[in-house]
Parts: sequence; C-alpha cells; structure tokens
Amino acid sequence: MQIMKKYRYIILILITLQIVACRDFLDIKPQGELTQEAFPETEGDALLATNAAYATLRSWHYHSGGFPILDIMSDDAHKGSNPNDALSTVGPYENFTHTTTQDGLDRWWTSLYEGIKRTNVVIEHVPQVNMDTNLRNRYIAEASFLRALYYFDLVRAWGGVPLVLTTNPDLKLPRSSAEEIFDQIERDLLFAASQLPGKHQYTSQDLGRATRGAAHALLARMYLYKRNYLKAEEHAMHVIQSSDHYDLEPIFENANGHLGEHGIESVFEIGAIGVEGVVGNQYANTQGVRGTPNRGWGFNRPSLDLRHAFDPDDPRLKLTIIDLGDVIDDVEILGDGTTPDITYDIDGNIIEVECYNRKVWIPGTNVASQFGHNRRLIRYADVLLMAAEALNENNKPDQALIYLNMVRARARQGNDEILPDITTTIKDELREIILAERRFELALEGHRFWDLVRTGKAAEILGPSGFEVGKHELFPIPQSEYDIAQGSLSQNPGW
Amino acid sequence: MKQRYINNFVFLILMLLIISSADAQRLVQGTVIDARTGETLPGVNIVIKGTLRGTTTDFEGNYSIEAQPNDKILVFSYTGYKSVEAEIGSQQMINISMDEMSELLDEIVVIGYGTVRKSDLTGAVSSLKEDDIKKTTSNNAVQALQGKAAGVHITTTSGAPGAGAAVRIRGVGTFNNSSPIYVVDGVILDDISFLNPGDIASMEVLKDASATAIYGSRGANGVILVQTKRGTIGDEQPTIIFSSEYGIQRLAKKIDLLTGRQFAVISNEIRPGSFNNVDAVPNTDWQDLIFQTAPIQNHQLSISGAGNRSTYYVGLGLYQQDGIIPKSNYQRLTIKLNHTYDLGEAITIGNNLTLAPYKQRNAPNVTYAAYRAQPVLQPFYEDGSFGVVHNVGNPLAELEYSNSYNTGLRAVGNIFAEATILEHFTIKSSFGIDGGMNKATSFTPAYTVYNPDGTASQQDNEFSNLFKGSSENLSWLWENTLTYDHAWAKHYINAVGGYTMQQSRSDIFNLSGRNILRNESDFWYLQPAYILDEANNINMLESLFNGVDANLYYSMISYLFRANYTFDNRFIATVTYRRDGSSKFSSGNRYSDFPSFAAGWNIVNESFMQNLELITALKLRASWGKIGNEKIAYFDRFARVQSGLFAVFSNPDVSYPAASYGKSGNPDLVWETTSQTDIGLEVGILNNRLTAEFDYYHRITDDILIELSTPGHLGNGQGQKVRYNAAKVLNSGIEFQVRWREVRNDFRYSVGLLGSTVHNEVLEIGGNTGIDSLLIGGYLANGQPVTLSRVGLPIGAFYGYVTDGVFQNQEELDAYPHLSQAGVGDLRFMDTNNDGRIDGNDRTYIGSPIPKFIFGINIELQYKAFDLSVDLQGQTGNKIFNGKDVVRPDPYNFESYVWDRWIGPGTSNEVPRPSFGGYNYSPSDFFVQDGSYVRLRNLILGYTIPPSVSARLGLEQVRIYFKGSNMFTLAAYTGYTPEIGGFDVLSNGIDYGVYPIAAVYSFGLNVNF
Repeated sequence: MQIMKKYRYIILILITLQIVACRDFLDIKPQGELTQEAFPETEGDALLATNAAYATLRSWHYHSGGFPILDIMSDDAHKGSNPNDALSTVGPYENFTHTTTQDGLDRWWTSLYEGIKRTNVVIEHVPQVNMDTNLRNRYIAEASFLRALYYFDLVRAWGGVPLVLTTNPDLKLPRSSAEEIFDQIERDLLFAASQLPGKHQYTSQDLGRATRGAAHALLARMYLYKRNYLKAEEHAMHVIQSSDHYDLEPIFENANGHLGEHGIESVFEIGAIGVEGVVGNQYANTQGVRGTPNRGWGFNRPSLDLRHAFDPDDPRLKLTIIDLGDVIDDVEILGDGTTPDITYDIDGNIIEVECYNRKVWIPGTNVASQFGHNRRLIRYADVLLMAAEALNENNKPDQALIYLNMVRARARQGNDEILPDITTTIKDELREIILAERRFELALEGHRFWDLVRTGKAAEILGPSGFEVGKHELFPIPQSEYDIAQGSLSQNPGW
Repeated sequence: MKQRYINNFVFLILMLLIISSADAQRLVQGTVIDARTGETLPGVNIVIKGTLRGTTTDFEGNYSIEAQPNDKILVFSYTGYKSVEAEIGSQQMINISMDEMSELLDEIVVIGYGTVRKSDLTGAVSSLKEDDIKKTTSNNAVQALQGKAAGVHITTTSGAPGAGAAVRIRGVGTFNNSSPIYVVDGVILDDISFLNPGDIASMEVLKDASATAIYGSRGANGVILVQTKRGTIGDEQPTIIFSSEYGIQRLAKKIDLLTGRQFAVISNEIRPGSFNNVDAVPNTDWQDLIFQTAPIQNHQLSISGAGNRSTYYVGLGLYQQDGIIPKSNYQRLTIKLNHTYDLGEAITIGNNLTLAPYKQRNAPNVTYAAYRAQPVLQPFYEDGSFGVVHNVGNPLAELEYSNSYNTGLRAVGNIFAEATILEHFTIKSSFGIDGGMNKATSFTPAYTVYNPDGTASQQDNEFSNLFKGSSENLSWLWENTLTYDHAWAKHYINAVGGYTMQQSRSDIFNLSGRNILRNESDFWYLQPAYILDEANNINMLESLFNGVDANLYYSMISYLFRANYTFDNRFIATVTYRRDGSSKFSSGNRYSDFPSFAAGWNIVNESFMQNLELITALKLRASWGKIGNEKIAYFDRFARVQSGLFAVFSNPDVSYPAASYGKSGNPDLVWETTSQTDIGLEVGILNNRLTAEFDYYHRITDDILIELSTPGHLGNGQGQKVRYNAAKVLNSGIEFQVRWREVRNDFRYSVGLLGSTVHNEVLEIGGNTGIDSLLIGGYLANGQPVTLSRVGLPIGAFYGYVTDGVFQNQEELDAYPHLSQAGVGDLRFMDTNNDGRIDGNDRTYIGSPIPKFIFGINIELQYKAFDLSVDLQGQTGNKIFNGKDVVRPDPYNFESYVWDRWIGPGTSNEVPRPSFGGYNYSPSDFFVQDGSYVRLRNLILGYTIPPSVSARLGLEQVRIYFKGSNMFTLAAYTGYTPEIGGFDVLSNGIDYGVYPIAAVYSFGLNVNF
C-alpha cells in the first residue's frame, strides 16, 4: 500500500527533524535579568551600582531590625508602643535580657553585610568600567565611605567581625580583630576624604551623596570611639574649618525636621520619600505618634529620665518629646487608646507616660508621609560636640568651650535667660558637661548608648536596667550566624 | 453520522491523512465459552491484534468478524478471564474457551512507555482502578490514592475549595520539591487537579527504580501514571453513563477555646483589674461565626464506544464546591475527548484531550483570626457596625470586604500515531501539550473598623486596592519510541527505545492599584490613576510584576531504553536506561545517566510448585537503580543582578534607580540522584482469593539540591538562600498490601489491608560546601524557626526546648538553671547539654513530622442489590507542632487547656501560669502533640435497582448511594485536623492555622443507559 508507506515515511522524517532541531535547545538564560558577570559594564551600570550601596540605608533591617533599639537600650527611651506590642521581640533590649536569638540581631548583621557587598561591587568592578575618570573615582570613594559606615556599625555592635573586601569572599571566614576592622574603616575613610567632593561641589540633584565632610566627621566619630583624641580633634576640626559651609540651623527643630533636609547643618543624611514602599524609610514610622493622629507605631518612647535630665527651660525638651495634648502643625496629639496615658509601678510611682519622639515628626496628613523623614546620620552639632570633647581631652578647654557654647547658643533660641554659656575649664567637669550636652542635643538620634559605652559610663547609668560590664558592651553574634559558621565564628564574652 | 464527524475532527488535526482503501475481506466466526463450566460467554471483546477493528460476542457467545489478508491474530478479552490470542491463519471458524483469571497477578499493568503483564513485572507498582478512583469526594483524583496504595502518603493540607494535597511516595526524599510527577496518557505533568476523577480508568503508582528509571531525572519522587477512559473496541453499542452526587459539608471538629468568662478570669490573673466583673463579659464563639455548612456537587456524563475503525470517549463533568468559610468556592467544568482511529495496515492514530475551565473564589484564612480573637469582644456594636478585635482584626469584617477570584483554563492533550513497521517492531510518535492560563482579581474596598470611642482601629484599609494577575504557561512534549515485542519458544522480549524533547514556557503579568473609583465589580479594571503613590508619582515598582514562572521555564532532551526479558514464564530480567539533559544546569553538567536493573523469579511456575494447589501465585523480585530530580528554579545556577533598588537624593527628595549583585548563584549545580533498592514478594493463595504483596525499599538520595542559608558575610541579605548539591537522605521501610476476596452466591466481599513504614534520616547536610551542616526551617509567623534538619534526624525534625514541668516555687527556680525571664509558675526548660545554664544551645530534637507507619483498611461488601464500602486510613509515629498557639505578640484567646493552669505551688505541673506571650511561648515540646490518627475516609452504602425495574425504565443499571467522607476521626491532636501539611518539607507538620477539612455527607446516583 503506497499510502501507508507514505505515513511511515512521514513519521520517520518528523523524527529525524527532531534530532536536527536540538541545537541550543538547552541553552536558557535568565529572563529579564542580568547575570553578575555582565554587570557593571557601562557608565550607567556604574551609577546604578553606586546608588545601590545607598539603598541599604533605608532598608527595614538596617536600623537594627527596623527599630531604634539603640535608644531603647539607653537611658533615653523605653520600648514604647502599647505595653504588649513587641514585648518579647523588642522588649528584652530595654532591660538587657536579649539573647543570641533575639529578633533583629541577625537581620541587622545580614543587612550590614548586604550593604558591604554592594559597596564591594563598586570598589571591585567599577575600576574596570570605561568611563570618565573623575566620576569613576568619586563612585569608588562614595562606596568606600559607605563601606566604612557599615563596618563601623558592625565593629561597635559586635567587635571584631569577618572582614570582607571582595564580592566573592570565602564561605568560611573567621572574625578579624576589632583593630583590623577599625584599620580598614580608617583606610576607607581617609581614601574617601581625599577623593570625595565637598557638599557644595555636588549639584543639587546629587545632594545626599557622601562628601569629604561626612568622611572627616565619621573619622572623628571613629577616633572618639577609639579614644584617639588627637586624631578625633584633627578630623572634627577639618570639618569645622573647611570651606564646606557647614553651620547650625538657626532653628533647632530644623536640625532633624523636614525644613532642614540637606540644609546647612546636614553632614550626612538618608534621603527618603513619603511613600510606604522601597523609596520610603520606615525608621520614623516605627517611632511616630501612635493612635491619633496615626503616624506610626510609637516605639522608642522618651523616658522620664531623659525628660527630667533636661533643664525645664531648655527649648529642646519640647522639640524632643511629644506629649499628649500638644498641638503640632495644627494637629492635636491625642495618642493611643491601647496605651495607658500613665504607667505606675506597684508602689504607685509613675514610671512611664505616653509620649513620642518629636525628632521624627513630619508635617503631613497620613502614615505614608512619615516614611519621608530624612534621618540625619551626622549633623554639624554633633561635629561641634565631638570637637569640644576631643579638644577638652587634648587639654584645650578654651577652644572646647567655643564649640560647646555654639551648640548651647543655638539651643537658647535667642532667650538669654536660659542655658548660660559654660565657662569651666576643669577637664573632668567639662567632660561631664559635654557628655550631658550631647544627650540633650542628640537625644533619640541613636548616639546615647554608644556614648555611654565608649566613655565607660554604661555600667553606672545602665546597670540598674540590667547592663553587665564585660558583656553588654557588645551584642552576641546572632545564633543563626554562629550555627552556620560551624565553629569559624567565636561568640562574644558572656554570651 | 457521528463517526464521520469525529473522523473529520482528527483529520483536521493531522491535515494529511485520507481514508485508506479497503481490501479483500473474509469472514471469521465462532463461539466463546467458559473453559470450566462450558457456558457460553456473551459480551466478550474480540479485536484483531494491532488494529482497532473488533466486535463482541452476542448473547449466545457467537461472533463474526471480517478479517483482511494481513490480519494474523484475534485477541479475546473478557473481564475476569485470561485473554486469549488465536492465530487466524486460513481458518473461518475459531471457537474459544476462556479460563477465569487468577485475579490480580495477571492483570495488565501500565508502566512507562508500555504495558506489562503483572506476572512479568519486576518493579514495585501499585494500581488503582476506576471503581476506587470515583469514590473520592475531592476534585483531585490523587486523593483517591489515600489509604489505597501502599507507600503513598497523601496529606490534604487545606479544606479550601479546590485546594491541593501533598503527595509523598516512600517518604520524603529531598529538601526541595518532593512531589511525584504525573503522566496522563503519556503527557508528563506536575499535577492532575484538572482531571475529572470520573474520566480516569486507572492509576498506577511507580515506586521503585525499575519502574521509575524510564522517567530518569523526573522519577525520583515516584511517578503516577494515569490512563483516562477510552472506548472499548468492538463495543458498537454506545455506553452512556450519567452520575450525580450532592453533598453537604460541615466543620468536622471545633477547637476548644476559652469562653468569655474564662478568658476574663485569666486576663485578671495576668493583668489584675482587666475585667471588673468576669460574669458580665460577652462570650463570643468566633468559630461559630465564621463557619457555615456548604454544598458540594459533582455531575458527569460520558458516552463511549467504538465504530468500525475507531473508538471514542466523550465526557463532560461539572464539579462545584462551596467552602465552609463563606466567600470561598470552586467550580470546574471538564471536557474530555479521547479517540483512536485505525487507518489500516497496522497504523493507528489517536488523541487525548482534556479541557478544564475553572472558577475559584478564595476567602481570607480567617480561621487563624477566629482562633486568636478574644471571646470577650463583640463581633458587632449595637448599631450593627463591626466591633474592633484588637491586634487580630475582626474576621467577619475581613470576610465581608474580601473579594478574591481566580478564573482559568487548563488544556492538556496529545495526538499520537503508531505503526508496525516490521514484524515485531512498532514505532510511535506522540506530541502533547499542557497549557494553562489563570487570571486573578482581588479587590478590597477602603474600610475602617472603629474603636468604641470612634477612633480608627488598626483594621483600617485607607485606600481600596485592586490586584489583577495573569499567568500563562505552555509546555510541549514530543516523544518517539520504537518497541520490539517478540515471543518465541520459551522466550519473550519486550524492548522499547526512544527519545523525547520537552519545552516549558511561562509568563506572569501582575498589576495592582488603589483608590478605585467605585467599589462595585463593574469598576474592577485598572487605570493609570490607580497606580499613583502617596506623592502622586506613577509607582510601577510597587504595582507591577512581569516575569516568568521560574518552575515552568526549561527545556529537556532525553534518550530512553528498556528491555524486559522473560524465560519460560519463570525468570524475568529488566534493564532500563535513560539519559536526560536539562537547561537547568550549566553546559558541563547538563546530561546525566539513570540506569536500573531488575530481576524476577516466578516461583509458582517452577515444576516443584506444580503440585501445590494452594499457592496460585508466588513471585520474588528485586531491583536497583538510579533516578534523578531536577525540580529547581530554572535560574538557580546563575548569579543574578538585583534591580528594583533605589537611592534617594536631592531636595526635595527624588528617587534614582539602583542595581547591584543579588544573591550568589551556583554554576556547579548537578542533578540530584536517588539510588533505590527494592525487594518484593508477591503471593496468591487459594486461587488468588488471598493476595499479598510485600516490599522492602531502601532509597538514598544524594547531591540533594538544597537551598542553604549562607553566612551573613557573603552579603546575600536577610533570609536569602543559595542552592547547592549538599545533602543526603535515607528513606527505607517495608510495604505490604494484603487482600482477601470471596464470592458466595449473592454475597461477595473483600477486605484489604495495607501499610508502609518509613525510616527517614538525614545522612549529610552541607556536604563539601563547608557551611550549614544543619538546616533551619519551619518559620512561624514571628520568624522563629521550629524545625532543624541535621545528620541523624528526620527531615524537618522539630526542635525547641524540652520542658520538665513547671517551676512550683522560688526554691525550685533557684535550684535549676533557667533563662532570666523565667519565674515561678513558668515552664522549666531542661539543660539538655548539661552546661549548667539554659540558652539556645539547649534546644534539641523534640519530634518528627514524618509518620513512621501509614496504613489503610478497605472493606467491600456486596449482597444482592446492596453494596457497602468502608475505607479507613491513618498514620502513627509523627508529631504535630501547634504553631498557631506559639505566636503571641499580643493578647489573644487561649486553647481551653490553659484553664488548667498553674495558680500556686502544686496546682499544675503541666500547664504554666498564664501569660499573653513571652517566655512560656518559646518553641518547646509543650507545643508538640501526637500526630497519630485513624480516619473514616469514606463510607459508601449503595443500592442497585433490580434490573427488571431499570429495564422497564429503559435503563441498563441504576444505583443510588449514600456517601460519608471524613465523618469520623480518632486523633489526639487538638486542632481541626491531624492532617497537617506544610508549604515545604521543612515546615511539614506545623499547624499554622489551616483551613479546616470538612466532613461531607452526600447522596449520589449512577445511571448506565
């Protein structure tokens, strides 16, 4: 049967075709995505990669797991929100009962390293990109600054940590010593300071990128942490005496507030847009007024201790703490129905009142606007106080007083009746005064806990809330990291 | 008329065929009788071998058929009898006597790329026939295997309408996708939820390497072959079957929670003064408020038969299920078309096709909210508005404002052509497709639940949201095989070789917006204005996703071979080999080989057995082989760049796009392979009234493709994992399946018993990657992990603190190491590592989610017109982690056990003092419960109307029945159901607050016209 033979041939031909058609059949590339070998290749890629190193700053995990836990651990703040909210997750930080598995620790650790990886992409690969040399150097210097910033968080929180300077590190990496980490931070910041433009040299659309001023200021902060007062003085003074036009905002509120964003006092800040999403920053939302108006969750509640430490006439008090009944931007603060207005202990003493962090307040009408708060990581008042502290330690009290009193003068807001100039030149006295001034000026901005640790005062001041010397200066290595490392990471003492 | 119509249909598909010319024909006729009784047999099927031409015997057992010169053999087949083949030669009269079949062992079993007589089978295969499959109340036929096939463990993970089930064959072999593959009429698929169980003729579960190796890289988790119904050759009278079932579903079990008063009393103990008068608080039973009874129905009509040169099966099914939680339902229509055409000259073509459009409505899982909501809260205020439920949200409001729908279509089918090209050789080519599209719409209006003081509570959806999702996938599979089939003297060889190509493509497009103009469904369409963010910028980043489905984007090329040799019906040997290449691996690692070897010995056919009348079947078989698994995302081998990042600069703030390295990739990935050894024994006694099958299996899966947490310093970011070949798992155990069946006049009955044991053990994790020797998983809603897999433990073993009573007093507290948060009345955690203190290192193994023994008992009785079937099924040796009880960031209601709390020294050493969260809710064995259960899966009582009555109605057979599913469960577990799945193998057995399984009471009707 001819027809039937034909059918057989057709089947055979089809089968042969199939074999021939196989070439490249199994080569499938990722769809809609670049692979890492192909990035960064162009000048545009280099910019994208550099920008990405900043993205970590707004991530939920970056601010120690979304919460301003560092203030909660200090004498400045309580957990906040309503009594049960995050009681078992954030609560333990307040009384130093946090453990190696405490919520937030692993997220902070991994996010800092994620930020470091993004900086390493730039530092390792942008040099090979064919592009404008000046721009290329600036990108690498920006990344170096950010890498130092992330490592500084790591070394303060955990001491020595694995030191990663490449995008392809060994899977098993032991902890470098804290000294080695500090050395790397120093190298990166000195490089950044030498290569980065001054703040005024950026075009307005690049405001918020790392500057040489920020690099010097961060160097000063690091040296203070290491009690290297000579170098701390050198770099703080570099910022003060530079041509970069830093000054204090005339109005204290603007130092952290919306009107002072990228203003004259801002040395390094985290840009954010008032949108609940990746371009926003939930940092202020976690601390914003809970209830009415609904601006957030109300964590990081200012403590009575902080309130009472202030000179009652200090205008900064009302600009640090929001109380129920306050009216801000024509909005009356009513607070939260599930939070007691006043909390008593069993003896009837007041231990907490419902109040909120004023420094993250953003004018606006809804929750989302709170996501637009630009957190100031370094501001000029901090630089002045760092200079004062270093100068005092270096036996230059007269100079120290200049910068200390600049901060007090601004705080005074023109009222000469209050906050008189400090005049003492007795070193020990002045040291205490500067530390106190840091507390009033920089309250709830994430400095207090580190200030207490680095000045050795943590035991005295935080001891009553559970701080143990020799243990709580550092966080425990997150249990999950410790487990994965299978012995290549040692745990911190006491944990 | 119909015949030509159907022919046209297929000719359109092939577009190149014309009807062949006829040839000289002659008539062959004869009579068929029962060899033992000598009675004539009506309705025997007679087919000319290698063709679709056939006929059936009439009432007197006579037949006649036209034979062409090339026709050589007539095949006689009849249910319950051994098939007989007769050479036509030059005969014109062929009389046949048929022997009653020794049941079971001479069945024809479908295996990959062919069929085999059960007695020639060297692999471990469980079969399920039509009658068992149609018993399931589920929309998914795979549920029918539950308790019916040894070694198959099925967990119905959710009672939501249209929800799937987790299927595990012979334990859990891998850390990634552990589900078997399905082969429906030759098309390889990932699930069979689109099939109407009523259209299925048989299901075979291939379990050992000998059976699965022909599927190579796909077979490691087992293979379930599904044959859909076809017309029977010779059956010229159409078979018309209508069946209809209607049932009511209700919540099978409620969870015991505290009453309003009890909750108030306990609240006052935790926080004095919470309730002034505990006798005056409301007592809301939230469970009663969210559950309803709901109908379920299933109707189907099928027509099948054969024409002169063709067979046909046309099926139509409608399945409709409402959920026991309002606003959830599922509706599926199935259209089934199967045809075969004989083109003459030993060439056959055919098609299988299923079209299944479906609609689904999804309710939010409010069971968790109902579990947590305090009973002292009112669902509604006096004005009828929703009452606030702190920290949980009012589940009734959540239901009220939920609108979530899926609609879609699944189309699966193939066309094939088969030809005998030389003597003993058959060539077959099959081209199949699996296409699916799904559209999802979900809309939530802006709404607010207010506090009693009129302020907004946290249940506040500021803007209405609309989500639209669309996904489609299409895969095609082209398989070509050459089969050699030859019997001579005492030898029989059946060999098949071939190669196949498969490609899968997918595309997903999701878009969401907010602030929709109106709430009515007429407005559920997206507009550019809806995609604006709070700052009035077009926000595509948050609203748009477009990409492929990473599991459905690959290509494969495979070469396969199998030879089965039988000598003297005594010795059998099988060799299987498959070589697979997959796009999921880098070019150097792309291909892998999967061989298997098996041997069988039919002892019953040995001469020394011939005098033992008692034993009618006895076969010993053994197999060894390697099978693979490649169910990973297509991009796992690549290190990819993460885009969608942003930097924010400038004043006012402006966002600038950013991109950087995402997590690391692993270009060195290779196939995961399972080596499996199986030894089996099949026995038939007393003319196979008693049949039994025993198997020992030993599976080691190596190079498991596992996602490992990487050290933080790699910078992969929080929670990111990277895929490695880095684990090894053992599963071993024994399976048995025993059945007794007997017919006594009007009474027939059978009792089946089956069971299987699993020993599951992780042999290695981390391998030579040097990281992560333990695998943490089973994350609760608060991020706490409760499973830890490590060497020596089962996969996904629970871990946590071990409790040893309650601290009764201060002395006891001081005497034992404890966490600083612990106080008198709290749980005492044991210092398991004896280092004198309690910390994270004291958390240890506290139970396995994998049952050590699963079993089924199936009883069938038939007396005259009545039939009864009872299916029991259960498991033991596993634990359940009551995850929903552990996560307590806020004050929630408690399970009633809390009422027996510690309230002072000596009051309780089991239940600690009450607290709304914190220390006592650290994951510990306090929350681990026994997972054993026995469930009455189905009870069916049927009555067949006497033939005399149905004949008067013009019907062949009419049967009515009552069916109860999940009516009764014996279990210690306090949750809704002891069948707890998990979204992956590491979260297996954790009760996150499941959509409960319903008990179903149905009535049904079967009519054969």
